Amino acid sequence: MKKPIILLVLIATLLTGCSTMMSVIPKSEAYKGMYAEKPLSILLMPPINKSTAVDAKEYFHSTLNVPLANAGYYVIPTFLSMEILKRESAYDAELFLDAPLNKFGEVFGADVALFTIIHKWDKTYGMVYVDAEYIIKSVKTNEILYARRGQINYNTTVQSNVSGGGIAGALISVAVSVAATAANTAATKYVDVARIANAYTFKDLPVGAYGLYNPEEPNEMAGLKEFVVTLNSQYRTY
Amino acid sequence: MKKVIILTVSVLLLTACSTQQALYSWGNYENASYNYLKNGDELSTQELIKTYQAIIDKQKGKRGAVPPGIYADYGFILLQANRTEEGKAMLLKEITLYPESKVFIERILKMTEK
Repeated sequence: MKKPIILLVLIATLLTGCSTMMSVIPKSEAYKGMYAEKPLSILLMPPINKSTAVDAKEYFHSTLNVPLANAGYYVIPTFLSMEILKRESAYDAELFLDAPLNKFGEVFGADVALFTIIHKWDKTYGMVYVDAEYIIKSVKTNEILYARRGQINYNTTVQSNVSGGGIAGALISVAVSVAATAANTAATKYVDVARIANAYTFKDLPVGAYGLYNPEEPNEMAGLKEFVVTLNSQYRTY
Repeated sequence: MKKVIILTVSVLLLTACSTQQALYSWGNYENASYNYLKNGDELSTQELIKTYQAIIDKQKGKRGAVPPGIYADYGFILLQANRTEEGKAMLLKEITLYPESKVFIERILKMTEK
């Protein structure tokens, strides 16, 4: 009698481990503009840091292009574009949140701009509480094509190569130990927080031109526009 | 026997969500990138250069191509280090691989002429 229950619990645990909370709105509707405009090039606007953590801006800035490129987009070179934005006194992205963006199309060849607003980055022992908003705007129409805001509660005590007991734990440990190589210094730990927050958020981003085309994708459900999630370093998108 | 089934099911479920190969491999990119952004000193610059070289030479992603922006940012770092010719060559590689970068990269190349 007991075994089927254990099996069910195990399956349920494993499934929740890799599934995302989905809305009931298909991507074709939630991200209509993305499908209509089919943007190729994304310009990363320097993250807007409204949190009390001074380093949060850099944590995000250094981890945003990977999930976007992996989703199939051309991400305009980060350091090069940052340098030009600084020279043109356009480094404060907040100035452009509600301003026309066509200039960014002309200078950078961007189709869309990604704004990131870090509303909160609070550390307590073993946890980082992040509130981050991501907005992709068309530089042609200024329309918002994609927007999500997440409360990401990140448990920093869970190490990526050691996991918590049981068969599931042992299996997860085997699965992730290959990927876990980074030294666990404070900085890499917090880079990880931003990296995983970004990866989690952009998991439902429609695939870009270099990605694998999936005709069914527009019918898949979009993620929740506003979400709350608890994550740790064991989260993997790939 | 039951244990074997449980194990098999678990492994299948885990593989279902963990073995998809990413479009590109990035090595230590995010950490190197953060250190450079934060410190911008000789050590972090060298680390970033090494990371770029590894991404280019040991690319293991599904596309088998160097990711967007890598040649260009590598070129930019080389230009900063006064390795002008190498830097320009990298910028040109970005245009070849990603023609959509042409507008922006040509602007940068013009700036280096001045």
